[in-house]
Amino acid sequence: MNVGLLAQSLLAGITNGLTYALIGIGLAAIFKGSRVPNAMQGEFSVVGAIVVVLLLTGHGWPYWLAILCGGLSGAILGAFIEVAFIRYMIRNAAPEDSYLLLTIGIGLSISAAVLYFFGRESHLLPGFGSDNLYIILDAVVREHVIWLIAISILLTIGLRQFYRTTSVGLKMMAASIDPVGAASIGIDVTLMRTFTFMLGGALGAAAGILITPIIPVDYMIGLQLTLKGFAAAILGGLTNPLGAAIGGLVLGIIEAMAIVGVSSSYKDVITFSLLILIMIAMPQGLLGRAGRTGG
Amino acid sequence: MLAIKELTAGYGQLRVLHGVSMHVGKGEAVAIVGANGAGKTTLVNAVCGLGPVTQGRVIKDDVDLTSDAAHRRGRHGIAVVLENRRLFGEMTVQENLRLAEEHGRAYRSANLQFTWQRICELFPLIAERRRTRIELLSGGQQQMVAIARALLLQPDLLILDEPSTGLAPKIVKEILHVLRGLRSEGMGILLIEQNVGVAVEITDRAYVMALGRIVHEAAGTEWQTFLNDERLAAAYLGKASAGI
Ligand SMILES: Nc1ncnc2c1ncn2[C@@H]1O[C@H](COP(=O)(O)OP(=O)(O)OP(=O)(O)O)[C@@H](O)[C@H]1O
Ligand SMILES: [Mg+2]
Repeated sequence: MNVGLLAQSLLAGITNGLTYALIGIGLAAIFKGSRVPNAMQGEFSVVGAIVVVLLLTGHGWPYWLAILCGGLSGAILGAFIEVAFIRYMIRNAAPEDSYLLLTIGIGLSISAAVLYFFGRESHLLPGFGSDNLYIILDAVVREHVIWLIAISILLTIGLRQFYRTTSVGLKMMAASIDPVGAASIGIDVTLMRTFTFMLGGALGAAAGILITPIIPVDYMIGLQLTLKGFAAAILGGLTNPLGAAIGGLVLGIIEAMAIVGVSSSYKDVITFSLLILIMIAMPQGLLGRAGRTGG
Repeated sequence: MLAIKELTAGYGQLRVLHGVSMHVGKGEAVAIVGANGAGKTTLVNAVCGLGPVTQGRVIKDDVDLTSDAAHRRGRHGIAVVLENRRLFGEMTVQENLRLAEEHGRAYRSANLQFTWQRICELFPLIAERRRTRIELLSGGQQQMVAIARALLLQPDLLILDEPSTGLAPKIVKEILHVLRGLRSEGMGILLIEQNVGVAVEITDRAYVMALGRIVHEAAGTEWQTFLNDERLAAAYLGKASAGI
């Protein structure tokens, strides 16, 4: 196998992996903050990307402004889901599985709405920066890929800093670790949960916007992204958002190697078989913590 | 200062509190004693907005807090050290305290009674271990952080739910020393304790709780000699706890 091909697929693996990572991070953040396994995380990506497509090509907005609004739309959708549904279900002590059902339902509705309003066509966004190509280790790289890698890494590091150093971030973390303890020192646990959904929504939208110059967005792609995000998050340890980042990368790289080594038709089989093996060996995930309960 | 009126509470079908009334005066130190399952924690949670209330009122300084959310009650000078402490285990000592400190500052804009410096004087260990994650501390150290966290909310009434449970006698002594100091500075204290020997040391008055009701109130010498009165102790607390 030549170096160029290997480098090329490794790069593709990292690119996809970072996208899975962002979706997984959003999923893990929401799960940690509310114990809701969010089966519509990929739909945040679809909505974010579609909003950018609409504003950019439909209304001719500047790209950066459209991107900002795309991210914002994810946050708003996240807040809406928490305020309109999750909050009441938690107040009425809904059983745990009902959240999965709820988010699957919301996901399907969004997918149907996208189909209804935008049809079956898929849409690509232009790459960030210029359309220049670069050669790295014999691999041809679009400038957008470099942006995607840089932005994903920055978002991941930024998220860590946000949780560890800002007051709101610490409160969100406290509310997720022990809601009763948090409320006892004046933290508005419900509000923190809304913030968590906003953060998760914005991260999901960011993932969608970053990947859409490479993989076109359509009404069906949300579920695929959710599955990859879940795999990344579970691989990383579902309650550790930063674990999901590593999980996503590992997933993307395994997938890319499966394509070079075997064939692209079997990539999912190989990837998920490997995932299962890793999960058997490390049930808490790569960075997961044993024995955490509550939240 | 704190008045609880005819409080009724329960979980689902189970009724736990059956019309509990009690009060804590300004700067007064009051104990609630009672056997396991008497409803002491349910009462604390009701006062702090952390648990269910079906009927009755919680009033602090003439303000009715009954329908206030838990996170709004600190503003009225109430702080609680919860049963099992409820700290944030994977966060550091400093991070745990920082959150409470911020709210305390918001509640009392002028002359804070409990500054970071004061807290470190009360609990020297906090300065030493401030970068340590809570889950790596011993139970006694965690209890001190929990008390510090409550004090940083700048309360005038400190509620403690069984702070001595599971701790070595030496640690209990240290904690009692701090509580006694706070009391002498005028801090109101509501101490929930199964260990009457501990409770007597820092409180002036006590309510005895059994099966969700206040069944007895003891003050003065009656309270100071409560343990010697076998009839009272055995009747209300059961042999095991009375014997401590
Ligand atoms: N979350 C809950 N759900 C259902 N029942 C509960 C809950 N918490 C407490 N109870 C029940 O309510 C009753 C009173 O419990 P509570 O914890 O208030 O007692 P306690 O006096 O604090 O006891 P202990 O000394 O063991 O702390 C018990 O019968 C208990 O089983
Ligand atoms: Mg109790």
